[in-house]
Amino acid sequence: MEEKRIGVYVCWCGTNIAMMVDVKDVSKEMEKLPGVVLAKNYKYMCSDPGQDMIIKDIKKYNLDRIVVAACSPRIHEITFRNALENAGLNPYMLQMANISEQDSWVHTDRIEATRKAKSLVAAAIRRVIHHKPLKKRIVNVHPNTLIIGGGVAGMSAALELSEAGKKSFLIEKSDQLGGTAAKLKLSFPYLNDVVNDISNLIKRVEKSEHIQVILNAEVQEIHGFIGNFNGIVKTTDEKEYSIEFGNTIVATGLKSFDAGKLKNYGYWKYSEVITSIEFELLVKQGVVVNKKGIVPENIAIIHCAGSRNENYNNYCSRTCCMSALKYANQLRNLLPDANIFEMYADMRTFGRGCEELYTSTSRKGIMFLMFDQRAELPLIKEDERGNGVVIEFKELLSGEEIQVPADLVILMVGMEAHENAKSVSHLSGISMDSNGFFIEKHPKLDPVATTTDGVYVVGSCQAPKDIPDSVSQAKAAVARILATILRGTVEVEVTTAEINADICCGCQFCISVCPYGANSFDAANDVSVVNEVLCKGCGTCATACPSGAISTKHFTDEQILSQIEGLMAKVHELEELETN
Amino acid sequence: MGGLTMNTRVNPDFEKELQKYGKGNWNECFHCGNCTAICPLSEDGFLFPRNSIRTLQMGLEKKLETSIEPWLCYYCGDCSETCPRDANPGELMMALRRYLTTRYDWTGLSKKFYTSAVWEYAAIAIIALLVIVSFLVFLPLRPDAALMVNESGGVMINSLVAGVSPDRFVTLIEYGDWLMAVIVGGLLITNIFNMYYKTIIADKTVKIPLSAYFKEFWQLIYNFVTQASFSKCEKRSYWLGHLLLMTGYTIMFIIVVVFLPYFQIEEVVPVWHWQRLLGYYATFGILFFLGIVIFQRLRKNPITMKFSHASDWIFIIMLALTTLTGIILHIFRLAGMVEATYYTYIIHLAVLVPMIVIEVPFSKWSHLAYRPFAIYFSKLKLATLKEKSVRKLAPAIS
Repeated sequence: MEEKRIGVYVCWCGTNIAMMVDVKDVSKEMEKLPGVVLAKNYKYMCSDPGQDMIIKDIKKYNLDRIVVAACSPRIHEITFRNALENAGLNPYMLQMANISEQDSWVHTDRIEATRKAKSLVAAAIRRVIHHKPLKKRIVNVHPNTLIIGGGVAGMSAALELSEAGKKSFLIEKSDQLGGTAAKLKLSFPYLNDVVNDISNLIKRVEKSEHIQVILNAEVQEIHGFIGNFNGIVKTTDEKEYSIEFGNTIVATGLKSFDAGKLKNYGYWKYSEVITSIEFELLVKQGVVVNKKGIVPENIAIIHCAGSRNENYNNYCSRTCCMSALKYANQLRNLLPDANIFEMYADMRTFGRGCEELYTSTSRKGIMFLMFDQRAELPLIKEDERGNGVVIEFKELLSGEEIQVPADLVILMVGMEAHENAKSVSHLSGISMDSNGFFIEKHPKLDPVATTTDGVYVVGSCQAPKDIPDSVSQAKAAVARILATILRGTVEVEVTTAEINADICCGCQFCISVCPYGANSFDAANDVSVVNEVLCKGCGTCATACPSGAISTKHFTDEQILSQIEGLMAKVHELEELETN
Repeated sequence: MGGLTMNTRVNPDFEKELQKYGKGNWNECFHCGNCTAICPLSEDGFLFPRNSIRTLQMGLEKKLETSIEPWLCYYCGDCSETCPRDANPGELMMALRRYLTTRYDWTGLSKKFYTSAVWEYAAIAIIALLVIVSFLVFLPLRPDAALMVNESGGVMINSLVAGVSPDRFVTLIEYGDWLMAVIVGGLLITNIFNMYYKTIIADKTVKIPLSAYFKEFWQLIYNFVTQASFSKCEKRSYWLGHLLLMTGYTIMFIIVVVFLPYFQIEEVVPVWHWQRLLGYYATFGILFFLGIVIFQRLRKNPITMKFSHASDWIFIIMLALTTLTGIILHIFRLAGMVEATYYTYIIHLAVLVPMIVIEVPFSKWSHLAYRPFAIYFSKLKLATLKEKSVRKLAPAIS
């Protein structure tokens, strides 16, 4: 077999790697390994001079394989693949060794860390020997978009697409657009009337010729892959729509926490106790009364109802503190003489204008009382001295057991994922976290895409969110979608599974394990086939296949075993090994 | 103080009530605790002033009414200077002292005086008038008063009144002194008992053994005389100034009440006589302190003088008038000005008597008793708690 010509490049990453790893020693040692033509080290491999060095070397020394020992491939694999491509080499002839996150960052012994770096790089060298050139694949993109959910997030996305003249299907489960935001009277932190904003948004959506709103409807089926989806939408009156689209936006929104679960608050027992959603309705009507119809004199607003509590939801719902302050302001205006108590667990008023809202509210004669969310929740009891209830708890800033009289208690109920999140997740091929919220592709760098190409998550179905965050996310998703529509084509993953039809026995086990529905059965030939567009190359079918007929491109058994071999062997043993 | 406590009900209106006793943006406090951290007098078991601010914000009257902490504070102002929110915690402690004075006073007069300056002016005026009228009616100037000058040219002060012998005059004034002392002392003692009831007896979490009362008794006397606790504040000059005033005032009080027959005599004693030396020391101490305080209160600086309650000014003015009339009286006597001496004497008493009758049991002067008692009570509690914890923890931790 022809000789492999490997170039090895060890990155200092300034001092990030060089401080803990003797990079010069690593590159010197690696040069001795079979197949390695040259090994170099450089301060910043990812910099332009660093990349130029690789490109020049490839041309000058006729290199056919490159190993870069630097940071995580998550960060710079694309960078170096592009460098290879620029040098005329197939980008898949690259292998990265992560000597930063997996080595220098986590060790304190320089000698040991250097030894580990050598093992990692040697493993990459052994692996890259077996790399094969792979071809990129390109598919066309359908210009229409499916948007599931007609709340603020969904409507904003639809309008943004409409601006670009692109058609969208806006599917809403209920009989009207607006979602949760349509229930609100004012928005925080500036206490603007939000009723008009939302109704204007709805009007614009309804007027747009590019948006097809389907109310009382649910998506039944979605098939296909990025650029080429098709689906079925069914309304409650059994009307069916068959639609085609290139991208999907999931904007299914939220569900309020069920206040009845909080035993201490007696939501069903006391007519004084209402939820924040019920309070919004009251202020919208302009009359604040409890369920007995009495105008309250003592009003308690209890934060974190169902949130940040290991017995209910562990997470923070992000908007309740600000909403609660908003209520205090609304109540101060409507009932100037009422006593208002803000009972909070921690005041979390982040974001522009929100701390200022807290400060200004604290100067309006409102009593702020802190309770311990980790201890037992405040207890609401009938007041022996009056008509209303009394709330008993240990106030945290004073350590005192206190009683707060109230004839109206507003529970700031948190946000939860919809109960049908699971079916939406199956339908669109996206994952949920343990709370039922959809998971984005990357929590920092890719917060609107999902692991399924062409499917985006926006708004509170991803995590509790306020209006501006939902709108920003919707518009960001549309920017991503428009990019693909504008180009007209998208590249799809090439590291897919491959079935050797000669070995496949047709047991169809691979079809049952595939999380992306990429495998199907070819009855004529009695074998399984892979739809390469749907396949993510996760390797599940390759591991599951009882006859060993499936391999994953770029992750073949040979490649992985060689990598392990390189990792486990001592460097001097590798020097003696044959290249092939 | 820890332990089981009853649930107490919050009261949002209480803050407004307390604003009558002092001014502060106490609702601004966000409980960083800097004030408590910087206070040299705050200690485990008696942490303040943050805790008191919180109790006030929630309007837990009962809790405030039974707290000793305000008396442990000498108002050096470090807390207010450190406060990042300008919530003025020091002034709260001051306001609480005024409030507590009204709570200890069972007659209800203290509350009237603290919450209404008119009431206080009226009370002072009535007592002053009573003194003046009594003199003019029962002890008028004798017609031949001009003759009552001794060989050194000084006025024979006990011989100015018609129909009463000099000895009898002194005795009459002395009886008046004692009567005043008994009334004022009686009121003060019952108020102290009230304080004792609220802070010690009503607190069921700490049971103080009888022996502790004897063991810690020296604290009461020691702190009254030296104000040692005040000297722990960073600003030691405040302590020194206060000590000067206190000793001056006390010396004068003892001379006038206990030693009147030796003090108010016909002859003029030499300058180096103990009487005159003590008198000059007291006059200097009081005037020096008053001068500084008046200057600072007018300038509203330092922070401790930023807010002046009506009772603060009344106290300053009464004390200044007493001292000034005392000085003038002294000068008139030495100069042999008989009539002037007689009338100044009346005015002097017309200021002095209401000052003591109003201020000592009902107003600012009452702190001369409450403070040392508060320290005594706090030491009782601390000693008891310490004993408890030592017993619980011994021998691992000592």
